[in-house]
Amino acid sequence: MKFQIPIGPQHPALKEPISLRMTVEGEVIRDADLRLGYNHRGIEKLAEERTYLQNIYLTERICGICSHSHTTCFVQGVEALLEVVAPRRGQFLRYLVAELERVHSHLLWLGVAGHEAGFDSFFMYTWRDREVVMDILEMISGNRVHYAINTLGGVRRDIDEALRTKILDSLGILRARTDYYFKLGANEPSFVGRLAGVGRLSKEDALALCAVGPTARASGVAHDVRRDDPYGIYGEIPFEVCTADSCDVLGRTVVRIKELGQSYNIIEYLLRNLPDGPVAVKAPRRAKPGEVVSRDEAPRGENIHYIKANGSDKPERLKVRAPTLANYAATLARLKNGFIADIPLIFAAIDPCICCAERTVELIDGRSGRPTVVRWSDLRRRAARRAGRVSKKRNVECPL
Amino acid sequence: MSALKTLLYVFVYPGLVFMFVYSTFCEWFDRKVYARLQNRMGPTHTGRWGLLQPVADFFKLMAKEDIVPEKADKTMFTLLPIFGLAVVATAMLLLPVWHFNPAAGGFNSFSGDIIVLLYLLSLPTIIFFLAAWSSTNVFSTVGGTRVLTMFFGYEVPLFLAVLSPALLAGSWRLAEIARFFQAKPVLLLVNLPGFIVAVICVQAKLERTPFDIPHAETEIVGGTFTEFSGKKLAFFRLMTDVEMVVSSGLLATVFLGGFPGGLVLGFLQFIVKTLFVIFLLSLLRAATSRIRVDQVVSFAWGYLAPLAVVQLFFVILLKGFVL
Amino acid sequence: MNDLERIERIKAVLGERAAEITNPSPQRIFLTVPARTLVPALEQLKTELGYRHLSTISGVDLGDVFEILYHFGYDGGNLNIRTRIPKADPRLPSICAVIPGAVLYERELQDMFGIIVEAIPDGRRLVLPDDWPDGNYPLRKDWKHVRAAEKIPGGKS
Repeated sequence: MKFQIPIGPQHPALKEPISLRMTVEGEVIRDADLRLGYNHRGIEKLAEERTYLQNIYLTERICGICSHSHTTCFVQGVEALLEVVAPRRGQFLRYLVAELERVHSHLLWLGVAGHEAGFDSFFMYTWRDREVVMDILEMISGNRVHYAINTLGGVRRDIDEALRTKILDSLGILRARTDYYFKLGANEPSFVGRLAGVGRLSKEDALALCAVGPTARASGVAHDVRRDDPYGIYGEIPFEVCTADSCDVLGRTVVRIKELGQSYNIIEYLLRNLPDGPVAVKAPRRAKPGEVVSRDEAPRGENIHYIKANGSDKPERLKVRAPTLANYAATLARLKNGFIADIPLIFAAIDPCICCAERTVELIDGRSGRPTVVRWSDLRRRAARRAGRVSKKRNVECPL
Repeated sequence: MSALKTLLYVFVYPGLVFMFVYSTFCEWFDRKVYARLQNRMGPTHTGRWGLLQPVADFFKLMAKEDIVPEKADKTMFTLLPIFGLAVVATAMLLLPVWHFNPAAGGFNSFSGDIIVLLYLLSLPTIIFFLAAWSSTNVFSTVGGTRVLTMFFGYEVPLFLAVLSPALLAGSWRLAEIARFFQAKPVLLLVNLPGFIVAVICVQAKLERTPFDIPHAETEIVGGTFTEFSGKKLAFFRLMTDVEMVVSSGLLATVFLGGFPGGLVLGFLQFIVKTLFVIFLLSLLRAATSRIRVDQVVSFAWGYLAPLAVVQLFFVILLKGFVL
Repeated sequence: MNDLERIERIKAVLGERAAEITNPSPQRIFLTVPARTLVPALEQLKTELGYRHLSTISGVDLGDVFEILYHFGYDGGNLNIRTRIPKADPRLPSICAVIPGAVLYERELQDMFGIIVEAIPDGRRLVLPDDWPDGNYPLRKDWKHVRAAEKIPGGKS
C-alpha cells in the first residue's frame, strides 16, 4: 500500500518551513518531492533599492546562523567594487568571527543531529558548550546572532588584550569537549547504528549534483572555498580540508567534528598573529560600473554572491546563492529507498538553512494570501506602533 | 464493613488515589533524573522541587479542548484511553505489596497471577495500536504499525526473562516467587542476565528512548498520539506512568526479591526498589539514541531472545542438578 | 595553473565559441558564449577541462536582453560563463543534461525572470506560490509590485 506523508511545511523535525512529500510503502520511501518558497522575503529585489551600506545589514538577515558568512561574502565583493582594501587587523577580526561562527554552527548542527536521531542528551550537551562560543561572539560584537561586525572597509569593533586571552583560554575547553563528542559520536552503538550507512551519496553523485560543504566533503570531494579560491587572508593560514570517504550521515558528522578542530587551530593562529593597526578604513559610497563574483566558505558550504554595480550607490543586481540550495538536489536523491525514520537525519545532514536558500522575492500576507512588499519606512512605522502598544515595564525580572 | 474495605482498597489504597499519586511521583523522578543526566534542571516550578509538575500537566490536559477527528472511529477513539487506564490499574492491584499475609490467597494473589499480570501488561500495546488505527491519521497509522512491529520483537524475550525466576522458584504466584528469593537471596544473582533483558524489554514496552519509535516526534510527529488531545491524552499519559510503575514493580518482585517486612518496611522496599528500576530505565533513556524499527526487531531476536533462552536453560539445569 | 594558462586552454578547447574572454581580477575569468552553443561548450569544458562544479546561475535584466551567468568553481578560482538572450524571446537551453545539479537554479530562473528553459527535466514552479499570477516575473526591472489594500477577514468591508 502506497501513501503520501507530508513532512512540512510544519513538522517537528523541521525548524523552518519547507515541504517534503514522501510517497511511502510501509516504512520505505519510494519517492520524494520538494516544495520551497514558504520563507521568501524578497531580499534580492529589495537589495536593488538599498545602498551598499544598508545592504550589509540586509544580507546579514538572510540567515540566522550563518549571518556573518553572508555579510562577509557581500562585503568582500563590494570592497572589490569600491576599490578599498580592509586593513589587516580588520581582516583578521572578520575571519576570526567567521571561524567562531563556523564553530557555533557546527556545534548547533551536532545537537540537531542528536535530536533528530532521538539522542537528546547529545543535543543538550553540545548546545551547552555552544554557549561558550556564543558568549565569545557576544563579547566581540555585542550580539549573539546578527553580529553586525562587518562594514565596508573593515570591521566595526576591535578586541582588546583581555578578550584575546579569554578567547584563547576558552579554546581549551572547546577542544576537550569536541574530542569527547568525537569519541561519543563514533562509539555510542545506538547512535552509530542510526548514522552509519544512512543517506549514501557517492562521490560521482556529489560531483554531478554540485553538492557543497561538509555534504560533499563527506563523500570524498575535497572542495573548500577557503583553499580552492582563497579569499581575504585564508591564503596564509595553515589548515587542512577535512574529508571522509564513508559517504553517509556518519561521515558528515565526522567531517563536521574534524572541522571544529581545524577552526580552533585557525582561531588560535589568528589570535596569536593578530597585527596592530586600525580595524577599518573609510569607504566611498558609490561604486564604478562593474561586476564581481564573491565566494566564501560558510559553515554549510560554498556561498556565492554576484554583485553588479551601475555607478550609483545601489547595486544593479545582487544574486545570492546559499549553500543549502546547492545541496537540495543531492538530498532528494538520497531520500529515495530510505526509511521514514531516516528522513530527518538525511535532511538534517545537509544542515538545511531554509531561509538562506529562499531569500528572493516576496512577503506573503498570511491573512489574505496576497503578496505584498513591505517598505522600509512601513516596517519602521509598524515597529514603532508595536513598541507603543507594549506596556512600559522596564527592568522587570522575567519569571522562569 | 467488608464492602467499605473493598471500596477503600479499590479507590484509595492501593487503588486509584495511590496509583495516581505514586505514578505522577515516578514520572517526576524519571524526568528529574533524565534532566540531571542531561545537565538540565528538570521540573522546578510547580510544588517543591517541581514535584507537582506531572500533576499540573495532568490537570492542564484535562482542561484542554478535546478534539475527535471527523473520520475517526468515535467509539473506539473515546473508549480506548479509559479502557487502557483501567487495564493498568487492574494490573497494579496484583503486585504483592498490599496483602500482608502471603499464605492467604484472594482476588489479587493467586497461583498464575504472574501470567495475568504479563497479559495485562501486553494489553496496553494493543490499545496503543488500536488507538492509532482508529484515529486514521497518516502519522498515527505509521506509528500504529511500528507499535505492533516492535511488539513482536520485545514481548517474547520479556516473557522468557520473567518466567525463568518463576521456574526457579517453582511457582506461578508472585508472592511465592518473592518469598522463595527472600529465603535464598544468593539465587537472585542467577537471574542477572534475565534482569538485564527484562529491563531493556520494559523500556521497549514503555516506548521510551531508544525505543520511542512509535511516537518519534522528528519522524512522524506525535505518532500514535497525534490526534489525541485533552482528557484522552491525559489518560494515555497517566496510563504510561502507571504502566511504568507496574512493570518496575513486577521486575522488583521477580528479580529483586519482592517487598518483605509488613506494612511499613514492605512499603518502603516497594518504593526503593521500583525507583531503582525506574532509575535504570532513565539511565538507559539518557544514554542512547533512538534506533530504527527494523533494528529493534533484529536486536530483540538477535541478542535479547537468545540471552533469555540461555538464562532459561541455565535455570532448568540449576534446578535439575543442584537444587 | 594560473589564470592566463587557463584562459589559453579554454581558448584552445572552445575555439571560436569563446566570443570574449576576460580576466578582470585574479582568480576570476569571465567568458562569453552565445546561447546557441552553450550546451556543447559546457560539455567540452566539463569533459576536457573538468569544469563540473556549477556554483549557481545568475540572471540579470539589462533592459532589452537578459544576461545569464553560469558560475563555475574550480581549484584556484572561478569561471563565469556569460550568455545573452533577447528579452522579447527569452529562450535558454537547459544544461541539466551536462550538469544535473543545475535544475533548481534553472527553475528559479524560470520563476524570477520568465525565461523559458527548453528541455528542463522538471519545469514546475520552485519558489513562487502556486497561486502566483502568470506573467509576473519579480526580478525583471520593469516589475513593480502594487500593494493590495489590506483586508481583514471577518472585518467590516
